Amino acid sequence: MKALQDFSLTVSRGATLALLGPNGAGKTTFLKVVLGLVRHDSGYVTLKGLSVMSPKARRGVRYLQENVTFPSWITPLLLFRQVERVRRESTAEDFTRRCGELGCGDLLRRNFGKMSRGQRQRIALALTTCGVPDLVLLDEPSAGLDPAGRILVRKLISRLAASGTTVLLNSHLLGEVERVCRNAAFIKNGRLIDAGDLDSLSKHTGSVWVETGVPRKMADVLSRLGYDCRKDDGGVIVKSSTVPDFRKMVRDVLDTGIPFDGVRKKRESLEEIFMRIMKEDGGDVSQRN
Amino acid sequence: MAAALALAVFLGFFYRGVSEAAKNVDEPGLTTGGDALFTPGTADAALIAILTAAPLAATLVTALMIVTGSSMLPEEIEDGRMSMWLSLPQGRLRTYLLTGLAPFVLTYVLGLFLFGGILLITRFFFAFTPRSILQFPLYLFFWLCVVWAAVTTLSILTRKTVSMVITFFMVALATLFGGVYEMMRMFPGKAPDTLITITRTILFAFPADRSYRGLLHSIIPSDGIVSEDLAFFGVVSGVPVWHVFYALAWTVVVTILGYLAFRNRDF
Repeated sequence: MKALQDFSLTVSRGATLALLGPNGAGKTTFLKVVLGLVRHDSGYVTLKGLSVMSPKARRGVRYLQENVTFPSWITPLLLFRQVERVRRESTAEDFTRRCGELGCGDLLRRNFGKMSRGQRQRIALALTTCGVPDLVLLDEPSAGLDPAGRILVRKLISRLAASGTTVLLNSHLLGEVERVCRNAAFIKNGRLIDAGDLDSLSKHTGSVWVETGVPRKMADVLSRLGYDCRKDDGGVIVKSSTVPDFRKMVRDVLDTGIPFDGVRKKRESLEEIFMRIMKEDGGDVSQRN
Repeated sequence: MAAALALAVFLGFFYRGVSEAAKNVDEPGLTTGGDALFTPGTADAALIAILTAAPLAATLVTALMIVTGSSMLPEEIEDGRMSMWLSLPQGRLRTYLLTGLAPFVLTYVLGLFLFGGILLITRFFFAFTPRSILQFPLYLFFWLCVVWAAVTTLSILTRKTVSMVITFFMVALATLFGGVYEMMRMFPGKAPDTLITITRTILFAFPADRSYRGLLHSIIPSDGIVSEDLAFFGVVSGVPVWHVFYALAWTVVVTILGYLAFRNRDF
């Protein structure tokens, strides 16, 4: 069985790329091949121009694996020191600061055995992203985190991207991914089936979105004007088939006198992109055997 | 912690035993009449004390080496942490050695304390001169090298429990035939050829015992009245140097095999 085949992907420095695909598609395998943890049978993989099997290629590269575990008897500070003895890329202050940003600054001297899963995950994120890494590979970084923790992870990824760090993110939480990633690569059955920036991948859904704080009132008025629309969270979705002239529709919305925040042609959400691309590739979107 | 505690308890009992025995040791001497032919002196008493404690200490040290050696790498792999270590900017060889050597260092240090403790306690109560105190740390090193290499490599190739069982078995077999080898040295030309072949094959296949015998020989008294027929006590004389170098070469080869299995593995 081939975990990855016919796979060719180039990631630019500073990009934030999401790896998306059904279970068993090969997303984690791809990350491990990039790090040299899994050997590729053919082709080549380079990091910053160096073979991935060279330790030098992993300078400035950080990896957060899924479901990482730590010995119960060790503290985060002790583990950080052990890691930094090899890595030599960040200081204890960097680590402490990152732990503070992730809401786990008070856990530095507590044994991992006395932490919850979410707390360990926060520490793992801090250990992976402290300092200024060049490349960060995150495999399900929000796993085990509460909603507040997920917000912190989003902010962390945005901060990393802003500082020029390249981020490869593997996550099933498409809503989270959509908010932080500008690019995506879709993997299915070990093959890369599509990749690009989300704006170019997203197609128009054939609807118009009217953002308003009073969607029910807006939907009623637009319906009386002949538009086929329905109320949704935060706005009204209007079917394009009933909008022959977009500018006229905008004028109609203005004329309603109802407060609104915007009118735009609705593009696909990441979830809709995902489902479409998977289905276009053939077969159903399910776990590979 | 548990190992250090076991070591302390062992030495505590040893101290107690030796201190009681010391109360009953007279001046050494040989008599030709009467009931006693031989009165052991302090050096001979020291010999008995050391040869009583040494096998037990060897068992403790071997067990520690096998248990920790079979655990370190497999646990890091099974708990998923090996991916974390290998994702750092270091080669697989360095990761393998640093992770795998930790149990060796721990066991070697505890072994030094254990056998050193036996020597010191014995010396405290019985005046004697060890045959070669400087060689004792070296023989301990070579002895543990073989056990470490075996259990570490096996733990990469098989499951942890299997590696422990196989290594324990190999150690036991080597110890048994190591004793036979010493007997054969004491009575040259008396052993059947088959036994000689089997003994040499086993000691060649797993050379840990020779270094252990060397350790034993280096710490027993050189100034006792009892100086012959020591095979019954486990060691006839010093171990030829090439036996020890062979053990080292064996260690290197087996370690390389283990590393190759580790290097070619996906994590």
